[in-house]
Amino acid sequence: MILLQVVVGGLLLGAVYALFSSGLTLIWGMMNFINFAHGEFVMLGMYAALLAVLWIGGGPVVFGLAAALGLFLLGVIVYFALIREVMRGPMLAQILSTFGLALLLRYAAFWIFSPNFITLPHTALAGTINLAGILISIPQLVAGLAAAVLATLMHVALMRTAVGSQLRAVAEDRTAAMLMGIRPDRMQALAWGLAAASAGIAGALMAISFPFSPAVGETFALTAFVVVTLGGFGSVPGAMLAGLIVGLIQALSAYWFGPIYKDVVVYGLFVALLWLRPQGLLGTA
Amino acid sequence: MRWGWLALAAMLLAYPWLVAGSASGAFLQDMGALVLLAAIGAAAWNVLGGYAGQISVGHAMFFGAGAYMPLLVYQHWQLPPLLGMPLGVAASLVVAIIIGFPTFRLSGHYFSMATIAVAELVRIVVGNWDFLGAAIGLQGPATARGWYDFVFRSAVPYYYLFLGVLALLLLVTWQMQRSRLGYYLRAVRAGERAARSLGVPVRRYKLYALMLSAGFTSLAGSLYALKTGFVDPDSGLGILVSVQMIIIAALGGAGTLLGPLLGAMILVPLQTATNTWLGGSGSGLTYIVYGGVIVLIARFEPGGLVELWHRQATARLMRRGEARHAA
Amino acid sequence: MLLSAEKVAKHFGSFRAVAGADLAVEEGEIVGLIGPNGAGKSTFFNCIAGDIAPTSGRVVFDGIDVTDAPAEAHARLGIGRTFQVPATFEDMTILDNVMVGAFLRHRRRGEARDRALEVIEMTGLQDRAGARARSLGTPGRKRLEIARVLAAGPRLMLLDEALAGLTPGEIQRAIELVHAIHALGVTLVIVEHIMEVILSLARRVLVFNQGHVIASGKPQDVVNDPAVIEAYLGRGHGRARQ
Repeated sequence: MILLQVVVGGLLLGAVYALFSSGLTLIWGMMNFINFAHGEFVMLGMYAALLAVLWIGGGPVVFGLAAALGLFLLGVIVYFALIREVMRGPMLAQILSTFGLALLLRYAAFWIFSPNFITLPHTALAGTINLAGILISIPQLVAGLAAAVLATLMHVALMRTAVGSQLRAVAEDRTAAMLMGIRPDRMQALAWGLAAASAGIAGALMAISFPFSPAVGETFALTAFVVVTLGGFGSVPGAMLAGLIVGLIQALSAYWFGPIYKDVVVYGLFVALLWLRPQGLLGTA
Repeated sequence: MRWGWLALAAMLLAYPWLVAGSASGAFLQDMGALVLLAAIGAAAWNVLGGYAGQISVGHAMFFGAGAYMPLLVYQHWQLPPLLGMPLGVAASLVVAIIIGFPTFRLSGHYFSMATIAVAELVRIVVGNWDFLGAAIGLQGPATARGWYDFVFRSAVPYYYLFLGVLALLLLVTWQMQRSRLGYYLRAVRAGERAARSLGVPVRRYKLYALMLSAGFTSLAGSLYALKTGFVDPDSGLGILVSVQMIIIAALGGAGTLLGPLLGAMILVPLQTATNTWLGGSGSGLTYIVYGGVIVLIARFEPGGLVELWHRQATARLMRRGEARHAA
Repeated sequence: MLLSAEKVAKHFGSFRAVAGADLAVEEGEIVGLIGPNGAGKSTFFNCIAGDIAPTSGRVVFDGIDVTDAPAEAHARLGIGRTFQVPATFEDMTILDNVMVGAFLRHRRRGEARDRALEVIEMTGLQDRAGARARSLGTPGRKRLEIARVLAAGPRLMLLDEALAGLTPGEIQRAIELVHAIHALGVTLVIVEHIMEVILSLARRVLVFNQGHVIASGKPQDVVNDPAVIEAYLGRGHGRARQ
């Protein structure tokens, strides 16, 4: 029974991983660019939720929205101010740009918010629920389900809506998209906004179930890297599936080997993945 | 140009003697040693990141391997820390191959992601392994049993030791730059696809650069351990160790020979100064500024100060040429 | 037979860029490859050069099966190529660019430098040898690419629209350069849109359309082939010519 609990908990957290990793892989596929500050976007989503709770009050919907809007804006600004220019430059500039941004955001958060772990003031979502003999914490359940729904919505929107197909067109063939009258610049800015927003919401969702500090961004970034590699270059459905798998592996590792090793196993499997199947689950060889 | 090199060498050689007379002579000598140490790490990173264009954001793991091994052999077997240095280099090379071999046939992002993941993995494992000191870390000899322990009261012997290693590294880099390896690495950085079409064995050459870089970074770590006599997961394997190497190399000029030294000469004194004035809270601010500086370099001048200087020099030359034509 | 490409196909998902193409090149030939945009010529080149692996088919060079070999191996065996969009090493000087090519056959810096200077002289780039590649215009870059790959000592050179965008004077000089390269013993396969170039250089021409070869033969015969005219100008024109 405990094992089943662990599995469920892992999958629920995995759904959140799927949500924020989908954004990362969307950008990766579109621009061949890895955002090294993505973990910090998640972390900022957590703090956006905190600020929303402190200043506005209200439940998860309110601060989820606050995180989404705030981070969307940040993503778009980062794109126009930094990414767009750096894309034309050497690889050094591209990688250092978001790496530097990650440092800037992380230490600014340390400075502004203090390094201590905090939790969101208790909302209506407290307690545990008993489903068929398995005890699940309600905040984690809500976070996981909401993340799963949002990630699916993102995938569906990409597949079915006009804007979604424009985004995908730019990802597949920028020149052809331009010939069709699509503005790659706008689409890329939108993608950055969406990616940041999904990271922010994921952060807000995790904030209701776990204590957090500015330090957690680094770990989320690494988790996202593993998930997008496992999912396959640019594949949003891949990232969703991979998110669940990574969440599951992490939970099982913590259960079998101890909480210290939950990340170690994931990083170790990352290396193995690079050796054996770098294209991941749904990527092309 | 010849005179410039001689002047630089003379200044570096004479520095400890020059500052010896002043009131804070010992402090300045110590800082000189720290500048050189930082330059070694940054110059080692530069071989891979600057010349070959492969960006490692987890170089701390090589530094840490180099720092831990000497102190390990001392703490457990009372051997001179010096004997641990080759072990540090060997461990670094093994880790380098594990990361580089699979990722160098893929696009550059995979390598960068892998470096940060493995660096974190190593940090967590080491931080929880008692044999390696866990969170407390390892210590070296407090007093010298002989010269081979490299425990000196004054910073001056360390200064010259570090200067020697830096000179060696720069010499190796300079030689590499002029050789086929150097040309091929620059080609890989400038355009991998075109490089391949000219027969460049891309993956093999990236591995050469990585191994050279990792080996020398490990040496830097060992030198650090010799001087401070202490290492723990944060000072040896933390991300800030990687950050310092990157920012010093990038600020001075990634891909140039003297960029790392220039960057170290600017940043190390600056960092010491801010730490002294602002104390503990200063270090928090320092890293915000570091992040900002890295972003600015990436956005506006990826070639660093050396490139900036070159551009100003060329602009001045052109203006002078125009003035001459007009006259 | 120096190069033999048999039933080479390259599919990207459901899109068939190359749908089964054959090419046989004897040593010393100059073969032209023409066809409308998007016909698959560059992709075919990429398969021959080892840039990408064909979905099916075989590429044999000098008796060695190189179908799945990486581009570096192709280059070492003696296949050189230029790119449709010039891929020069922008921040390196012209001399350094060519030296990268020269290093394939010359280990030492001095020898590579000498070889590079020879080739730079031959291609007429000696005035700008110390300038960075990014200071060149597109024609200059194309010439640099040719010099760079020539320095690598290829037996077969694949030129992908190396003369596109040149002025008539430049085209004349480029044709002379290609003749000079051919005189050195290099076999050439040339993709071009400019008919005069094909007519003056190629002994044999293949026409590509929609991923396969639709005609081949002497240049004069091929340009009058109704199928070829139809490919370029669309339905109806071919029949009108008859």
